[in-house]
Amino acid sequence: MLDFLSRLEILLNPTVLGQVIVNGISLSAIYILVALGFTLLFGIMRVVNFAHGEFAMLGAFAFYHLTKDLNWPWMIALPAGVIGVAAASLVLEWLVFRWFYQRMFESMIGLLGLNMMLIYGGVLLWDTHERNIPAASQEVLMLGDIIIPIDRLIVVVIALAALTAFYLFIRHTRAGLAMRAAAQDVETAETQGVDTRHIYKVAFFVAILLAALAGSLWGQIYAVSPHLGERPLMMAFIVVILGGMGSIPGAALGGALLGFTESIVGTAFGAAASAFLSFGVVIVLLVFRPWGILGTPEN
Amino acid sequence: MSFDVMKSLRTGLIGSVFLAASSFATLAQETLKIGGLGPLSGGGTSWGLAAQRGMDLAISDLNAAGGITAGGKTYKLELVFYDDLYSAQGGKAAAERLVHQDKIKYIVGPVGSPPALAAISVTNPAKVIALTNGYAPGVLKNDAPDPYNFRLYNTNLEFGPPIIKWIRENLKDVKKIALLAPNDAVGQAVAKPLAEDYKKEGFEVILDFFERGTKEFTPLILRMMAQKVDAFEFDGNSPGDAGLMLKQIRQAGFRGKVFQIGGPAVDEIIEIAGPASEGFMTYDFVDWDMPKAKALREAYQAKYGKGIISPFMPAFYHGVYLMAEAIKRADSIETDKVRTAMEKIDGFDIGIYGPVKWIGKETYGVNRQLMMQYFFSEVKGGKIVKIKKFTP
Repeated sequence: MLDFLSRLEILLNPTVLGQVIVNGISLSAIYILVALGFTLLFGIMRVVNFAHGEFAMLGAFAFYHLTKDLNWPWMIALPAGVIGVAAASLVLEWLVFRWFYQRMFESMIGLLGLNMMLIYGGVLLWDTHERNIPAASQEVLMLGDIIIPIDRLIVVVIALAALTAFYLFIRHTRAGLAMRAAAQDVETAETQGVDTRHIYKVAFFVAILLAALAGSLWGQIYAVSPHLGERPLMMAFIVVILGGMGSIPGAALGGALLGFTESIVGTAFGAAASAFLSFGVVIVLLVFRPWGILGTPEN
Repeated sequence: MSFDVMKSLRTGLIGSVFLAASSFATLAQETLKIGGLGPLSGGGTSWGLAAQRGMDLAISDLNAAGGITAGGKTYKLELVFYDDLYSAQGGKAAAERLVHQDKIKYIVGPVGSPPALAAISVTNPAKVIALTNGYAPGVLKNDAPDPYNFRLYNTNLEFGPPIIKWIRENLKDVKKIALLAPNDAVGQAVAKPLAEDYKKEGFEVILDFFERGTKEFTPLILRMMAQKVDAFEFDGNSPGDAGLMLKQIRQAGFRGKVFQIGGPAVDEIIEIAGPASEGFMTYDFVDWDMPKAKALREAYQAKYGKGIISPFMPAFYHGVYLMAEAIKRADSIETDKVRTAMEKIDGFDIGIYGPVKWIGKETYGVNRQLMMQYFFSEVKGGKIVKIKKFTP
């Protein structure tokens, strides 16, 4: 067994450190994408979307079929799949989600049921084995001793572009302004003329769009199966608890913290140490600051 | 009497005639239920589904050939398969349901060690014959004074040492090996003996564990690469984990050998790792070129589609045939007689594995470990190429 110092020494090796940083960025970007949609639904509609990971799974399968079966180039397949899943999910919004808006506890149970239905619907439809989405590139970029897979670099660029677009949408559009108003106080927003039913639909579409995009990227880096959504959902929970439920900057901060913790601690001390630390921090936070790092306490 | 009531009576009458006719049919041929156990939910679902489908195909084939005859009666087989949740608790509950509720005397499964260890604690006292999988030595080295369980196919204790010896003799550049395993009872039960086998052959081994559910193996891989390993070994990892590790190992720039002396699921690994699977070397035990194996694959694909076939499918298919053979040889459905007949099976061959036999006295204290031919194969040009055949 390596001792503590020799594990640190491995981490400080320039080749390892460079890859740890690249890995941390790509993990953070994906965690933020999943968590943003999750926190958006909670912040605006007070819905705890236990089925969030399954929309990531649906996005991954859409991307898989468009690239592998229809041979679409990934640059077209990715946006087409993501938008298609988000648009199709509006049916579920009408059938299921809208009944749980502003009903946090009921939403947990109801959407847990939807989560199971989507997983096992996926098992019936696709079987259970894992599939590979062809990598956008098999090449690696060599920067001195540091090896960066181009595939991961593309994922980072797409995720960062999506996050920037989301930020601009929230900060600089009327719909974004209405969403922020509804998130702060839904009744006051309604008295000011905000059509909350419409805003809920837009927020839902955006949240599922982000989840489906995260799932597609996740599927490309890892693999696609009906169980794909389980881990992203868990990660989204940790990220939003760290950052603060309903806080968009909190989701970004939480995702970055989790991604880098997993990469750095995981490399030096293993996945068990990384999980121990991540969940340990979440417990401490829930005790001393239950509203998260950037969240606001409930009145 | 209204028209609706008349219609109901007529439907009931027709139904009764059909029921009576089918009762006559069942009188002619009795039914013998065969139990099956495997995970049908959670992460191991693909294994359980493959096991269930393998048993289903075997039972269809045996029934199509007239069922099985024992003690002057011909039996039509019927499958009763339950989800063992890939857990000890689930395995015990499912085995109790088969044994005490369904009164089943013959079980194939479970797939994994935790449910297998729990299931045999139910089946052995009830004198129920169980053909389990599960690599943990305790599955055969169990505390039952008079056990009725057998193991369905080779474990790493059987195929590990010969393959490792072959690696030492043929892959001279490999001296230091990173052995990665899931951090639970099953992972440790498989990886630790394998590490010892490597050490006995003079290899330096770095054994490290990860938590089940991990998708990002790059940190672990980087730590191994920083210690200048010559090869990675995936031991008993699931195909999902092994495929991801292989993909990430190549993306991290490692160009050395990667092996798996463990779970034989190279098709799934190729599907997940894609081009990164080139050069991957693995233990394998199904020879799909054999005529019966080819026919089985075609039957599977006709019924379940052209997806990947897990090795649990042929293993459980073979398990049902093995059980049927023992019942036929015993000429009885009494489990004491069937157990004795099962123990005497030697050289049985249904055309999937070649002849099989029972071994294990030295390792487990009982000759209850099925031994069949196996291979060390390599992925070349996206295809599996057998590079060394080992016969029992």
